[in-house]
Amino acid sequence: MTERTGNDSLEERIGSILSAQTPPDGWKDSLAELFQRYRDQQRLLDRLTHIADRFQAAERDRSQAYLTRYERKVRQLEKIVRISDQYQTMLHQLKERLEHASNYDALTGLPNRRYMTVRLEEAAAQAARRPEHTFAVMVADIDNFKAVNDGFGHAAGDRVLHAVARALELTLREYDLCARWGGEEFLLLFPACAQENAPAVAERLRRSVHEAPRVDETPAPSISIGYTLHHPGENIDATLLRADEALYKAKAAGRNCCMGL
Amino acid sequence: MNDIDLAQTPSTPLVRTNSREGRLTMAGDSYPENPFEFFQPIIDWVEGFLADGSAPLSLDLALVYLNTSSIRAMMDIFDRLEEAHQGGRGISVHWSYDPENERVGELAEEFKEDCAFPFTIAPRP
Repeated sequence: MTERTGNDSLEERIGSILSAQTPPDGWKDSLAELFQRYRDQQRLLDRLTHIADRFQAAERDRSQAYLTRYERKVRQLEKIVRISDQYQTMLHQLKERLEHASNYDALTGLPNRRYMTVRLEEAAAQAARRPEHTFAVMVADIDNFKAVNDGFGHAAGDRVLHAVARALELTLREYDLCARWGGEEFLLLFPACAQENAPAVAERLRRSVHEAPRVDETPAPSISIGYTLHHPGENIDATLLRADEALYKAKAAGRNCCMGL
Repeated sequence: MNDIDLAQTPSTPLVRTNSREGRLTMAGDSYPENPFEFFQPIIDWVEGFLADGSAPLSLDLALVYLNTSSIRAMMDIFDRLEEAHQGGRGISVHWSYDPENERVGELAEEFKEDCAFPFTIAPRP
């Protein structure tokens, strides 16, 4: 308050000096006081400017730091996503390999029994719904396979299995399916095979195998085939049993031939 | 400093620390049910080791599958290692993988990218 009163009196004195014709007594003191006040104000202004500048700089640094941190986080996230995607790809490929391994036979590359069982069930279910869509099942068994294994070794036996698998595959159409059912036995599924065509199809398979390239010194491979038609509505096991019986008859008839039931 | 010794489980890796030798070993798959709880003690151990003394720290890793949270945790650990390395600390990482699973090596390369400290990746002999 006293300061303010002082200022006010200084203002009054300067006012009267400026309005006087000739400078009144003590004008120098008033001027000195005014000058002092000007310098004080100037110092204050400098300090204010300085402080404001520092605040501004700090604020700029802060947003810069935010930006840097933000960019860093974004880069980190992008990297996490990239690596995570790769791990998922890796797992997906592993899953596909395992799926293949669980459904295919490693030696012949044919679908395995597990895969074929599912497909047979599916085909039977479809035939139950639409009896006109029944299918033929054939069991093919390599003749005298034990003699090959015993006489030429298991490696030769494996190569015969492989050769027979290729020969069987050769005669298949797109929708037909051939699986390694077990040991030297193959199971074939013909989704659209009319009863009257089954003997010819079986005969084509038999011939294809017999004409397959020979492995080492082994005799020309031959197969016996038992075939049957699935009766819509019956259990798939009943169909398979009938095919097995037909195969038994083919074996009994001297092998290298086809029998239907 | 308390060492960690966790046996491998189907969803968590083996984790073993050795404060005396300055070594952290991790091996196996990592998709823990609670990633934060699983990794925090490991991150704490690394921070504690780096804060204490000046002995070098080496990581011996044979991690295979990492879920996203685990990737993030490992990157956090590598960030701390990088900081220590920039501060002059001796840091090294060795990541070994099954030669039959080449992809794990490629993934380790991704982690290595931002690290200036010695980081070797090699198939297990």
